[in-house]
Amino acid sequence: MADNALQILRLSARLAVAAGIIAIMLAPCLGQEGPKPDPAGLATGDKTNVVDAGGNAFVVAEPTDKAAPDYAQKKKDFDEFQAQAAKEPLAVKLADATGHVRVATNFAWTLNTGYLVLFMQAGFALLTCGLVRKKNAGHLMMLNFAAYVFAFIAYYAVGYAFQFGAMAVNAAPGNLGGTPTLNHFLLGNGLWGFLGGKGFFMAGPAYDAGSNVLALFEVVFMETAGYIIVGSICERISFWSFLLCELFIGAILYPVFGCWVWGGGWMSQLGTTMGLGHGYVDFAGSTVVHAVGGFCAMALSVILGPRLGKYGPDGKPRAFPAHNLVYVVIGTFVLLFGWMGFNPGSTLGATDLRISVIAINTNLAAISGSATAMLFWYWKFGKPDVTMACNGMLAGLVAITAPCAFVGPTSAFIIGVLAGLVVCLGVLFNDNVTKIDDPCGAISVHGFCGVLGSICLGLFADGTYGAGWNGVGAASYLGQTGRGVSGLFYGDTKQFLVQVMGAAICAGWAFGATFIVFKVVNGVKSMRVSNEVELEGLDVPEFGMQGYPEDAISVTAS
Amino acid sequence: MKKIEAIIQPHKLDEVKEALIGIGVEGITISEVRGHGRQKGHTEMYRGTEYTVDFLPKVKLEIFVPDARAEQVVESLTAAARSGKIGDGKIFISTIEEAVRIRNGDRGEGAL
Repeated sequence: MADNALQILRLSARLAVAAGIIAIMLAPCLGQEGPKPDPAGLATGDKTNVVDAGGNAFVVAEPTDKAAPDYAQKKKDFDEFQAQAAKEPLAVKLADATGHVRVATNFAWTLNTGYLVLFMQAGFALLTCGLVRKKNAGHLMMLNFAAYVFAFIAYYAVGYAFQFGAMAVNAAPGNLGGTPTLNHFLLGNGLWGFLGGKGFFMAGPAYDAGSNVLALFEVVFMETAGYIIVGSICERISFWSFLLCELFIGAILYPVFGCWVWGGGWMSQLGTTMGLGHGYVDFAGSTVVHAVGGFCAMALSVILGPRLGKYGPDGKPRAFPAHNLVYVVIGTFVLLFGWMGFNPGSTLGATDLRISVIAINTNLAAISGSATAMLFWYWKFGKPDVTMACNGMLAGLVAITAPCAFVGPTSAFIIGVLAGLVVCLGVLFNDNVTKIDDPCGAISVHGFCGVLGSICLGLFADGTYGAGWNGVGAASYLGQTGRGVSGLFYGDTKQFLVQVMGAAICAGWAFGATFIVFKVVNGVKSMRVSNEVELEGLDVPEFGMQGYPEDAISVTAS
Repeated sequence: MKKIEAIIQPHKLDEVKEALIGIGVEGITISEVRGHGRQKGHTEMYRGTEYTVDFLPKVKLEIFVPDARAEQVVESLTAAARSGKIGDGKIFISTIEEAVRIRNGDRGEGAL
């Protein structure tokens, strides 16, 4: 009796603590004054969203800082605007409609590019499944499928809030109406934010038309990071531990770094706080998405160890050839197609006409990466390898993802060539030197080339785009009006420094956090399937059915 | 009755089939098999790692004929399957004790 009572007491105490934590998290969403969410989208997009091509607003805002030297001029402009607006109410009404249409255009663009990114999950599934042995095909497909489901649940519950809960503080997406209700850091504040704190369960302040566009677009990015790990840990990881990995990525690993760079967090503000260029810049996620996934995959692969038989008794690697090159190539093309959403969509708006440059840059890096990998293999081993040609294309895509908006076509092509070399050397390096077993080359493609992409931004950014990025240099930068994000080759050493530093932080965070958490998990219960299961193939032991059931002679009574 | 087992190059299957039907062979059973004789395998590279392909794809035919026809079938098969290069395959001939047609229970050469 006494034992039971004690247990009930303990349980109640734990529940109370959990309820308290949830209450603290939800507190900022409840009963607070401030901007209201707009679930119907009726109030999202008005005259304040009307800007010219240079981003100058139609509405002249009232100056608040009376001590500012240009206060008198600004006050005069404001008064003139007010007088004109009073004389022409129809113009103001039209501006409201124009602002709404502008935001609607950007909604359509961002949602549709998000759907393209969603389709990349099909590409990953085909690619990784084709690259493994036939006996594990069903298991691979289930991993790819469950990744979408479980990582989404984690991101829905807490991930989105952690990443974008303070979006409006430093990084309000004007193209989508600004998401003014996402305005609170759970950890840190102002320019030193570490974790967003609004929008848990995508409810309350996140139950808003603008916020939901952002949520749709960003959840599929998170899913991309979630899928990357499959390529490294497949053919030996048990299903239950894979689900833990996905929950971890969707709830913590991805959102935390994402908040630092994209959610208005501390790394994005390093330009303002420490004078480091435009702060850490990653346009579409070479590091935020790909290197996070790649280095998480590396840590998991180290913990799991290589597949049985991957290394002979002499330590030499053995080949486990891909079982379906058709899947590999189609999967790669599906990924290329999806990347046309991934990179151009990251403007969060079609009214940003840089989208065409981004689309061409993305393709250029893809083809030069693939050409480099094909020719490198041709030269080194006598035959171009289909799977490496595909890895080369993905390497180029990963590397151009951070700099795609900030570089010209020549630089994009060169970045692809560099990525093609890095992925070839990376695969050989992992196979022969580090002996980290990476069946699909995910560590080289996404980890190494993700870091390369971020550094390339710091080298090749040409200053033609991104004036005022992260709140730096809106009026002029490096003495030039309209100068945007610039790299080392265009005179901004500090941007290069912050890119190198940021990429290192990314790799350290993704590898370190994953390694610590899953070293513990693996210590409690091995994350690997048993040797017998691995030798038989994971399909039947884990899911009771084969990827290709006609391969087995079935004897069933009809 | 004789069983004629022939292991041939997969790309020769069509020619062999036409030749056998041409001389009036009524039943052929084939299976896709892998193996090697004196030809041995060869090595290939996958993502920079060498691996050997020991067992090459072949097609195995099984043909059952009355004793009197065996020699003609073997000659025709050999001629059709030959390319003159190593790896063309082999033919094995053995004696069969009995044959049964499942549909009506016919036995012996009448069941072939």
